[in-house]
Amino acid sequence: MSAFAGLMRTTKLPQWVGSLLPVFWAVIVGFAVCGAIAGTVGLSPLLMLTELIKGAVEGPQIFETVARAVPLVGMALAAAMPLRAGIVNLGTDGQLVLGGCVAAIIALYLPAPDGVRIVLALITGTLVGGAYAALAAAGEIYARVPLLVSTWLMSYPAKGLCGWLVHAPLADPLVAWPSTRRIPLGTRLEHLIPGTPINDGFLLIAFAAILIVFLDRRSSVGYELRLRGLNERFARYGGVAIDRQTFWLMFASGAMAGLIGAVLVLGSQYRFTDGALTAPQYTWSGTLAALLAGGEPLGAIIAAVLFAALQTGGFAMERSVEIPRVLTMVLESIVILFLAMRGAIWRRR
Amino acid sequence: MAFLEMIDIVKRFPGVLANDHVNLAVEQGEIHAVMGENGAGKSTLMAILYGLHAPDEGYIRLDGKTEIFRSPIDAIERGVGMVHQSFKLFESLTVWENIVYRREPRRGLFIDAKAAQRQVAELAARYGLPIDPIARVGTLPVGVRQRLEILKALYRHARILILDEPTAVLTPGEAVSLFEVIRNLAVNGCTVLLVTHKLNEVMAVSDRITVLRDGKVTDRLVTAETNPTEIVRAMTGRNVLLQVGKTARPAGEIRLEVKHLVVDGRNRRAVDDVSFALRSGEILGIAGVAGNGQSELVEAIVGLWPTDGGAILVDGKDVTALPIAGRRDAGMSYIAEDRSRTASAGTASAMDNLALGFHRRRPIAVHGLLNLREMRGWARTLIRKFDIRIAGETTPVGTLSGGNLQKIVIARELAHDAPVLIAEQPTRGVDVGAIEFIHAELVAERDRGHAILLVSAELSEIMALSDRIIVMFEGRIVASLTRAEADEATLGLYMAGGRKEAA
Ligand SMILES: Nc1ncnc2c1ncn2[C@@H]1O[C@H](COP(=O)(O)OP(=O)(O)O)[C@@H](O)[C@H]1O
Ligand SMILES: [Mg+2]
Repeated sequence: MSAFAGLMRTTKLPQWVGSLLPVFWAVIVGFAVCGAIAGTVGLSPLLMLTELIKGAVEGPQIFETVARAVPLVGMALAAAMPLRAGIVNLGTDGQLVLGGCVAAIIALYLPAPDGVRIVLALITGTLVGGAYAALAAAGEIYARVPLLVSTWLMSYPAKGLCGWLVHAPLADPLVAWPSTRRIPLGTRLEHLIPGTPINDGFLLIAFAAILIVFLDRRSSVGYELRLRGLNERFARYGGVAIDRQTFWLMFASGAMAGLIGAVLVLGSQYRFTDGALTAPQYTWSGTLAALLAGGEPLGAIIAAVLFAALQTGGFAMERSVEIPRVLTMVLESIVILFLAMRGAIWRRR
Repeated sequence: MAFLEMIDIVKRFPGVLANDHVNLAVEQGEIHAVMGENGAGKSTLMAILYGLHAPDEGYIRLDGKTEIFRSPIDAIERGVGMVHQSFKLFESLTVWENIVYRREPRRGLFIDAKAAQRQVAELAARYGLPIDPIARVGTLPVGVRQRLEILKALYRHARILILDEPTAVLTPGEAVSLFEVIRNLAVNGCTVLLVTHKLNEVMAVSDRITVLRDGKVTDRLVTAETNPTEIVRAMTGRNVLLQVGKTARPAGEIRLEVKHLVVDGRNRRAVDDVSFALRSGEILGIAGVAGNGQSELVEAIVGLWPTDGGAILVDGKDVTALPIAGRRDAGMSYIAEDRSRTASAGTASAMDNLALGFHRRRPIAVHGLLNLREMRGWARTLIRKFDIRIAGETTPVGTLSGGNLQKIVIARELAHDAPVLIAEQPTRGVDVGAIEFIHAELVAERDRGHAILLVSAELSEIMALSDRIIVMFEGRIVASLTRAEADEATLGLYMAGGRKEAA
């Protein structure tokens, strides 16, 4: 392992190859283990593998994977940004829900032309998510409430408030599940590729992802974040305004989550339904992806896309050959464990 | 045949020949100094002797028997003990518990605490190492912890004691008592291997010296028959000026003014009504035993620690309420005492480390975006100018030796060209060649008309560089002297808490 690590350090590969290679190994090992498990219970490992891959990328399935990757990448970035500087936002769930809820309300009730409404819905959803996370930052800056605690706890009132809104005042009486009315056609995000679930949200998140990777590598602000993540005391010593950075960083992270909420509501769910945004556990997978990459945005994006592929592949496999999807969860866990272990081994050197 | 011999020891690390056919011979009861600049291979050689590394070639002969130690357990078994630079102690346990750990005297199933305490007290008395067996280690100062490490080795019947850079963490006073302990050990028949690069220490306690450079033995000397210049030549391979060349120079206008500064530390008042002024073209030395408020004073001045009263002025401008960035903008730069924890990020590249503070300004940043080519060029320039030994500007600085890492810090801070420079322990743990270089840079900075506040626990450094000296004791300034008025004896008296009237 150390010889391999040494090779990694000395050879001059482009950075993205470096971040991709361990993921590749992790997947191979994950497949091997899952194949072995499948084999012992009498399922064909080869069948499992091919079905999983087909389910993730074959034909129209590739669009499913991309559609799933959009929110996952977004949530991975929302978690990765603060992590890059060594702080955490555990409240992206709440910020996601707030963003989606606010976007739905604006799309439904704002008396304005469609075009204006959709833009305002996106912007407001983003800003509200950001503001809510920034509130937690202010709590840490002015009252020393640890972000770890406040972001986590503040998720509950956010989810509670939005849930109450769709239970009572804004509820659509026609559906059983507590949700808003369906938002009108004109204020939905358009399908980018007709006949697929991919909508304009893809462009928004892709743009945000490129921007974040670029700023991380090439901007003064990204430099300060990175250095703070490596040694906060050093960053402070050099004059980095830590508190101001915390505030805006949390704002950006929450805004990303809020944007995802708005995109999901305006682009695929078409109404805000209690629990619908959090049920697919984008937050959870996104946070894991960010943790695996140690907050490095490109690595987080790659991990998030991989998770999206595994998840759609798993669904498809279950549907087509009745191999239980649990196996893909096993696969996912093994990939994660292996990647995390690799991190520890490399750090120890 | 000598009591302990290391014969033709070769040790390779990836890309480095750390020990290149090293021969070391030590007599019983001898205090043998192993000298060399950082990276010369001293620690590696000692690690081999203590069984931490296996040699690639060569062997050890102890008491006429050929040995290869596979682990420290083997080494301890044969009477070799080592005190590492970072201590390996249980802070929440008492002194005696740490000493007898895994070798406890037992009574039935239980540890016989009384017997253990008695044994520890006896051992301490025999070797003249005063220590309270029932004190909690967490409450003890560094010097006492080191004593405890020595006792731990002696309790395990060490006949050969390896001390790797033992004074790096000690105050001058603690260092002096350590030397007494070392002499005492030798008198009692214990063999001491003292690893260091400090000349005065070697001259003061050692019997013989083996000098390493680049993994090879360059000289074997008898202390009584040699002198610092000869040792330094063997260490560096060239003639090094041990004296700083410095000409008298009138001080200019006031650059930094500290007025009635009060700073509360974690659990006590650390700085108590301190006032002084620092002028351009002068080096003001702050002497004092470590822990008398110097660190808090410096951190308060630069903005890393909040003040609880008084004012700090740079060029007449009150900066007391400003954050660190504001103070740096006002004209302050700061060489922090703890280079690896505060003044650098070990996992970041030299390029990143050297850019801090310049990363929002032209030419490195334009409109908030980094110009990586400028950043790289900037790092290369500083690496060349300060002769920093590093593979390249993308190498993480955590891999550098103390002296080279310190050069990174100094290069960056001097590059700010700030009128006020605060230099805190600028040469701690740095080899002779680098000390000479750093001292020369500081003096050049002063000659350029900058004002330098020098905080150092090394009296020799204070004496060599300062134009004026103030002494801190228990958070207060107890003396303010011109260089001419100061000598080691006077300063030592004030550092120990003597009052001005007493002199
Ligand atoms: N564990 C190690 N792995 C790789 N290189 C090492 C290791 N330990 C020491 N070195 C290298 O060996 C050389 C000698 O180091 P060391 O014995 O620590 O020197 P000294 O104690 O004299 O400062 C240095 O170049 C150092 O970088
Ligand atoms: Mg060493």
